[in-house]
Amino acid sequence: MSAVDRRLKSMSGFYKNYVKRFYEEAHRAKAEKRPVAWVASTFPVEALQAMDVVPVWPENYASVCAARQVSVELCERAEREGFSRDLCSYSRCVLGSMFGYEKELPEGGLPKPDFLVTTTCACDTHLKWFQVASRLYKAPLFLLDVPYNVGGGDSARLDKAHVEYYVSQLEELFAFLEKQTDTKLDMDRFRETLALSGRTSNLWTEIQDCRKTVPSPMDARDAFSAVFFMLCMPGSQIAVDFYTQLRDELRERARNKIGVVEDERFRLVWDNLPLWYNLRVFEYLNSLGAVVVAEVFSRTWTGSLDPSSPFESLARKYLPNMANSTIQRRIDIISSLVKDFHVNGVILPTNWGCRMMSIGETIVRDVVYKKLGVQSLVLEVDPSDWRVAGDAQVRERLATFLETLKG
Amino acid sequence: MVWGDLGGTKLADAYMPSNSCSFARSCFNAALRGDFDYLDAYVESNSCDNRGKTYDMYVNYSRIPNVYLINTPHSNTERAHQFFHQEVLRFKEWLEHTFKREVSDESLRNAVEVYNQNRTLLKKIYDLKMKKPPLISGAEFLELSLSSLVMPKEEHNGLLKQFVSQVEHRSDFPKEGVRLLVVGSVMDNTELVRLIESVGGSVVADDWCTGSRYFWNLVDSNGDPLKAIARRYLDKVPSSFMYQREQRFSHVAELAKRFKVEAAIVFVIKYCDTHMFDAPFLRDDLKAMGLPVLYLEWEHSMSGFAGLKTRIEAFIEMVGGIKQ
Repeated sequence: MSAVDRRLKSMSGFYKNYVKRFYEEAHRAKAEKRPVAWVASTFPVEALQAMDVVPVWPENYASVCAARQVSVELCERAEREGFSRDLCSYSRCVLGSMFGYEKELPEGGLPKPDFLVTTTCACDTHLKWFQVASRLYKAPLFLLDVPYNVGGGDSARLDKAHVEYYVSQLEELFAFLEKQTDTKLDMDRFRETLALSGRTSNLWTEIQDCRKTVPSPMDARDAFSAVFFMLCMPGSQIAVDFYTQLRDELRERARNKIGVVEDERFRLVWDNLPLWYNLRVFEYLNSLGAVVVAEVFSRTWTGSLDPSSPFESLARKYLPNMANSTIQRRIDIISSLVKDFHVNGVILPTNWGCRMMSIGETIVRDVVYKKLGVQSLVLEVDPSDWRVAGDAQVRERLATFLETLKG
Repeated sequence: MVWGDLGGTKLADAYMPSNSCSFARSCFNAALRGDFDYLDAYVESNSCDNRGKTYDMYVNYSRIPNVYLINTPHSNTERAHQFFHQEVLRFKEWLEHTFKREVSDESLRNAVEVYNQNRTLLKKIYDLKMKKPPLISGAEFLELSLSSLVMPKEEHNGLLKQFVSQVEHRSDFPKEGVRLLVVGSVMDNTELVRLIESVGGSVVADDWCTGSRYFWNLVDSNGDPLKAIARRYLDKVPSSFMYQREQRFSHVAELAKRFKVEAAIVFVIKYCDTHMFDAPFLRDDLKAMGLPVLYLEWEHSMSGFAGLKTRIEAFIEMVGGIKQ
């Protein structure tokens, strides 16, 4: 029998075709004096897209630097300036790139922002890191202050006062953007952007649904790459086109039962972030018959948008992000993934410089086991600072965990 | 106010990771040990990620029957004020409902008056540190401000008044060492200040939430008392989790000037993100004023005390040397 090519055709050349181009476009915009803004994750980026502001994602850039194996050098650069090694490695990496680096930076570094927009939705770090960048670049900073989703509810079960406060700040945001760009918000354009973003999100959900099939046709490595559109440019036709193609391919794979591995023995959920500097960990899991079939990250970025009520829609999309919610939200997401994706183990990677991704994983582990009888592994790692945990140590812990799952 | 202690965090370490705020872990350790079993409620805020996430710990693992979170904005725009006022109102209603008693405007006005008096007295005593030599040591003062957080306020006011009437005539005032400003998040014990003052320093100014940030601003006693109480929280000298970072930096610089400090120590309790992010530029700004700055990141438990002492001693000797 001839070997089956298990790699997804749609994902071939993904970085070069989309991510690299994203940075090229940002540099081009800067050169052409079009407005360029730095944007924090969980910020409603659709607002920028609707105003033709080119969004630059420092977080994504950190993951690029990690994948290119330069993140630690850049972190050390920031540490030399006095930024603690215990801070978020994403922020250290990007700050390091700003302080001057003797070698060539991946993708030519980040273009300087005309202004920055941030939010407390995901973490304190986004406010503090962007304050530092704002001072270094002498560029104005807008803060979208987001109430903490204490009830841990999803978009339908949010606190009304939280939604109202969020919406009132979107008005301030547009006033800020109009001032910075000297253009008026075009409501039709805004609604169009939201419609595209909504379609992107629905397609992404359909893509995830294909992974419920046993064996799963898609692994975390591809998911963590492809999720790029959900984060960085959800309200765009290019996202819709790409996800349509990927969904169709996955549906065919699912129909033909072509999985990531031939003999799928373990189906896992992966929380938080991957080890960007070492995505081969997922292949290592594959070699042991394990496939990550769902990520909390892939789920938490989705959100349906109603163009007829654009402001409230955005509030309801971003407010319940698990980063902004009490632990119940994470438990609910993981529990539904465990059930719907026929999962038999959960990996809970922490993040050395991130309190949000580290505190509470013991609760998730305990509750998920008690409720569903599924075991979890809390893995102490960092997504881009490999000094925190060695490859051998990570592999050994994963292999041991799989052994325990065999029971 | 819930405090930690210096005895390590063995119990909490089973639930909270080693990269979480060592102060929050210490408090939670005390909760697990049963220190707070007498409490009817625990109230948390999401002022920082460490605290917001620690709320889940109390909900899931502590024996305190009621756990409540007040949503705290990170800026002081008018919209933030409106939101926070509603949030504080909600908290008041929760208290009334949970404890079956009314919180009247009159009792709030009374509380505002008592608290304002307390803060005014603390500030008055704090200002005595401007004198050369200071009339009160940093450790003595921290004891006053810490005790204010755990005692009935009226009683504390009485003691402060007594202190004020006597302090001007004291003959045992502290020996003046190198005049220092200490900047940090929270300080719930006098260990660090005692250490500094035992090796030739005088902590004449601080920027701690349990120190000067606590009493620097008063509640506006006119108008709706609850609104005024809420307003003070967002408008007061900002902590590092707030958007008003430049205001924070200039306030710290102003403290350094007014209290005629000769050097500063930026002391960050591990793993406090917001203070760690502020530290490098705050250090630069203070250095630009000609002040030597020592930056320290340390566990709340003060583990490795000997190493801490060596660093502080060397710093003070260095500054003292320049001074001579």
